[in-house]
Amino acid sequence: MRTTADIAKDVVMRWKNDLYAIVDFQHVNPGKGSAFVRTRLKNVRSGKVIENTFKSGEELDIVDVEKKKMQYLFSDATTATFMDRNTYDQVAVPLELIGDRKGYLKEGLECNLVIFDGNPVNIEFPKKIAYVVSYAPDAVRGDTSNKVTKEIELETGMKINVPIFIKTGEKIVISTETGEYVERTTE
Amino acid sequence: MERIRDFFALEGFVEIETPIMVAAPGMEPNLAQFKTELADERGRKKTAYLITSPEYSCKKMLAAGMDKIFSLGKVFRNEEPYSSSAGELVTHNPEFTMIEWYRAGEDYRKLMDDTERLVKYCAEKIPSSFRGAESDEKSQRQNNALGSLTTFGMTGEPWLRISVKEAFAKIGLNLDQILTRDTMAKAATERGYAVSSNDSFDDCFFKIFLTEIEPKLGVERPTILYDYPIQMAALSRAKPEDPRYAERFEVYANGLELANAFSELIDPAEQRRRLLEERELRGSLGKDQPPLDEDFISAVGDMKPSAGIALGVDRLVMLITGARSIEDVILFPASELFNNK
Repeated sequence: MRTTADIAKDVVMRWKNDLYAIVDFQHVNPGKGSAFVRTRLKNVRSGKVIENTFKSGEELDIVDVEKKKMQYLFSDATTATFMDRNTYDQVAVPLELIGDRKGYLKEGLECNLVIFDGNPVNIEFPKKIAYVVSYAPDAVRGDTSNKVTKEIELETGMKINVPIFIKTGEKIVISTETGEYVERTTE
Repeated sequence: MERIRDFFALEGFVEIETPIMVAAPGMEPNLAQFKTELADERGRKKTAYLITSPEYSCKKMLAAGMDKIFSLGKVFRNEEPYSSSAGELVTHNPEFTMIEWYRAGEDYRKLMDDTERLVKYCAEKIPSSFRGAESDEKSQRQNNALGSLTTFGMTGEPWLRISVKEAFAKIGLNLDQILTRDTMAKAATERGYAVSSNDSFDDCFFKIFLTEIEPKLGVERPTILYDYPIQMAALSRAKPEDPRYAERFEVYANGLELANAFSELIDPAEQRRRLLEERELRGSLGKDQPPLDEDFISAVGDMKPSAGIALGVDRLVMLITGARSIEDVILFPASELFNNK
């Protein structure tokens, strides 16, 4: 059995007859109390995120998962389809698993699919992904309201706030960890 | 630090310098002391500990008749997370700066006022350019609570004050009815927490508290949480009107625990009983069992009714400057000194 010491981002554990992936965690030592680990857990079936706190050293049923690098092909109303580039096997991933990260999906994107018992239970996106800006409004000249960002649309349809100098057709890098603009790129 | 000293000088406090290395350290069951060896010129050795708090020394001075004192210095706590892994924010450093102050003849209410005024005093005197050191939008957003802290400092808007019982009532629990280990464990189990048979009252309390209550504390403005169950306050006095609760409070700001305060216990027999109990608990947790400080126990009997508080200075600086990690406010954080990165 493993314990709270094995907690890390994206570790998957069995808990209350369900599988949960660890989204976030923080060690806390409250006012002279014992040590605890506060976690945010994502139910890998429903995508629902819950919060729970474990005592340090408590046993956790952490399961071994397999990670497979796969390429995103397309989505329909309920699933996103990925393909293994070596075997050409295709896997349909329920969109609930992807949640609001759906906007990161673009054709050809390589992600790690986390597989447990033959089923995909989570997706790990690359930390940074470059996208083409499909529409960026012009910065309004004479706007003195001190606004330093504006909302633009990416090729995937996702909307994001970026600095006002970004123009339509440029390529920008987004951090999937924070969901925010990182830099302009020419690659 | 200068501002803190200013504040206490204006308030008529005397600064006392207390030993960092002692023979008999604090007995808190969940704190791990740094342990070392003291040798004389003939090589005769004694076990020495680094303090986790200057509390014992301060109380001895109170017993000696001083009535408004403060101690500003380093304290040490071992076995706490001091370096970041996987994006976790660091809020502990094994050695950190602590300000403790004591008032004889007062109770914890006076300290609540002191704390609020001290923090506002420090925040007001800091040039605004130091606040929220990073100015990109992301850190601005994460620093929203800081924004309110400094705004509050300026406008003098009062902090929130809420009792532990009221905080539990907000999540639908009547704390009065779950003050025993078994009732608290049942409440935690019903709310979906994993509770094992060796989880104590405190463990069950914190599972609920850390998940459902603490993250909401001090978000809009610093919050004082007061009146803890008596079993959670080894050095504090019971509330005269309800002995199930102790006159203890903590200050939370921006999700961080900033300070911890009590109306002090002044019954030496009760003090000895609680320390022995904690010592035993330390043993069962596999921790060191240091000797009791007999001078401290007798000092407790000579103290006037007093109130004392400990406030983490590094965390105060984090709040005022908007730093997200304690590593950002310490010149040489342990995570660098010990090569964790």
